[in-house]
Amino acid sequence: MRLYEFEAKKLFGKFGIPLPEGRHATGKDDAFRASRELGLPVMVKSQVLTGGRGKAGGIKIAQDKAELSNSIEELFNLKIRGLPVTSLLIEKALNIDREIYLGITINRADYKLSIIASEAGGVDIESVARKNPEKIHRVELEIDDEFYSFQAFQLANKINLPSEKLRDFSKIASGLFAFFKSYDAKLAEINPLVLTAEGELVAADARVSLDDDSLFRHPDLKEMGIEKRHEEGELTPREIQAREWGISYLDLDGDIGMFPGGAGFGIMGNDFIQYFGGKAANFMDSGGGPSPEKIARMLMLLDDNPQVKAIFGARFGGISRCDEFAEGVIKFLKEHGLSKPMVMRMTGNMWQEGVRLFEEARKESPGLFERIEYHGIEVPIEEIAKRAVELAREAK
Amino acid sequence: MAILLSGQSKVIVQGITGTGGSFHTKRMLDYGTNVVAGTSPGKGGQSIHGIPVRDTVAECVEEFGADFSVIFLPAAFVGEAAIESIYAGIKTVAVVPEHIPIADMMVVRKAAAERGAIVIGGNTAGIITPGEANAGIIPEIAFESGRIGTVSRSGSLTYYVADTLTRSRYGETTCVGLGGDPVLGSTFDEILQEFDRDDATKAVVMVGEIGGVYEERSVPAVKAMTKPVIFMIGGVFAPPGKRMGHAGAIVEGNVGTAQSKIEALKSAGAHHAKTFMDIPEILSKLGI
Repeated sequence: MRLYEFEAKKLFGKFGIPLPEGRHATGKDDAFRASRELGLPVMVKSQVLTGGRGKAGGIKIAQDKAELSNSIEELFNLKIRGLPVTSLLIEKALNIDREIYLGITINRADYKLSIIASEAGGVDIESVARKNPEKIHRVELEIDDEFYSFQAFQLANKINLPSEKLRDFSKIASGLFAFFKSYDAKLAEINPLVLTAEGELVAADARVSLDDDSLFRHPDLKEMGIEKRHEEGELTPREIQAREWGISYLDLDGDIGMFPGGAGFGIMGNDFIQYFGGKAANFMDSGGGPSPEKIARMLMLLDDNPQVKAIFGARFGGISRCDEFAEGVIKFLKEHGLSKPMVMRMTGNMWQEGVRLFEEARKESPGLFERIEYHGIEVPIEEIAKRAVELAREAK
Repeated sequence: MAILLSGQSKVIVQGITGTGGSFHTKRMLDYGTNVVAGTSPGKGGQSIHGIPVRDTVAECVEEFGADFSVIFLPAAFVGEAAIESIYAGIKTVAVVPEHIPIADMMVVRKAAAERGAIVIGGNTAGIITPGEANAGIIPEIAFESGRIGTVSRSGSLTYYVADTLTRSRYGETTCVGLGGDPVLGSTFDEILQEFDRDDATKAVVMVGEIGGVYEERSVPAVKAMTKPVIFMIGGVFAPPGKRMGHAGAIVEGNVGTAQSKIEALKSAGAHHAKTFMDIPEILSKLGI
């Protein structure tokens, strides 16, 4: 979970990391007041939960009043990767001599903590790693290792920092490490760490991602207004609805509604559809053992989506039971009715019972089942996927 | 023969008195799993489904010779529970709960490596050795004793692959769920090595998905295998940057894409199955 720059900096401050003087502004008046208090020139920085702010024009420098009002006006109207800018961080501009990179992350290739420094700061560090790998220096630690001053000194030497700045750099690196460990971070970056013309090291930017699953250990974050948040960018109305219903759901751009069980098959099922010449309209995962209500809601999401031309249903009854799954589908058909053709398959736990429930319901009200094809274990899932692709084609 | 879990394994359940622990203990017993005890600190001396409850794992090891543990506890307590098992000398630990804090799982990995234990999960469906034992939440219906080992990051795909193997009369030796969490106790390489040492296993099916680097990391282990490896990768057409159900299944930039995984595994000599039906075809072409 990503933090806003102003939030990350608040936390960095607690660990003795030097920061530019700044104010967080949630409105235009706020922003002007902050700039007056700080004195021009100031940096005007949009606060959004995504990278690439600089490239998108989300960071401005204001030398005079005209530039200031232009910047504030412009940034509050800006969207960065679909995210509207709702607040700004106003900071006193720094006299930059050099820009350094300092970051800590978990190396998922070998599960070590990497403390990374580079003399090529202020730019995208991934591209430095690709083009000039010799400019990337790192200390690798086990999860429970100490990070010693001498290790920070070694990094400082490698990035050619003047000797008299060694101790300042080490304090910042240790502070960042302490922050990383104390708050269960996945990523903590200062890019750039600026060496000013006056010879001070200052964290000009702050990028932090925390482990969502460790948030319960940090009640103080909640007091700061930092709560579990989603970082996928703007959600579609259907995605918001699905989230409220506790269904993992994403809109995609195809026309086959995916009605699967299990996240793993949800991902693979989309591939199958594409292998057979179709395209999925969504990703969906019910979570374990969905209730009949939840199953009805899953179908509701697909039926109300005009983009969906046909539905592909697959249930592997594990802990969840196929008869309960069938009940959910039948409940939806009776109460709401399905306006699209659907082909589905049930296997696993109680699949015969699921098929039997469908048979009974069809005898009772054949109209409801006119455009629904259901199968048990005898038809392989690949055939069901192919049929769904056909149904979508016929519906066009 | 099988890997990690057999009819002789002495299984305990950590968190046996909880709802999930108690429910799945019953299922495991019904399957014939040799569940010898369970733990629940403060409830030592009670029993559940006729299985004795103890306060600590150490007691279970001393009294019953326990060597396999399945954890059913809230995520916040899982790290310590896994360490308790590892310190007590348990050989294999299956972590069923999901959303285990990353830092906890990293400490668990280190402890397991230092003491020679195998931890699988978090967010694993468990391990099943068909006809012998079932440890976790795997529905036994698709499984039948046979010749092929499977290892997968996803529970539902484990079932589909086993269903395919069972219906094509290959059957399974052991099926291992690695789990869907972002930091896992074990990854493909460790499990592949186990399968390579098992005489009954004639080939291994590994099922990966987008996100993370587990599949790429397994390349040296795949190359070192003396038996064929067939693989599937889910998420070939997944949109980048979107999280699809599993916390682990997120693609960022070029890291963790299906294409990079497929190329890495092919170059290591593994056989790519696009759909489940491809698996028996490839096996038969290989003369198995």
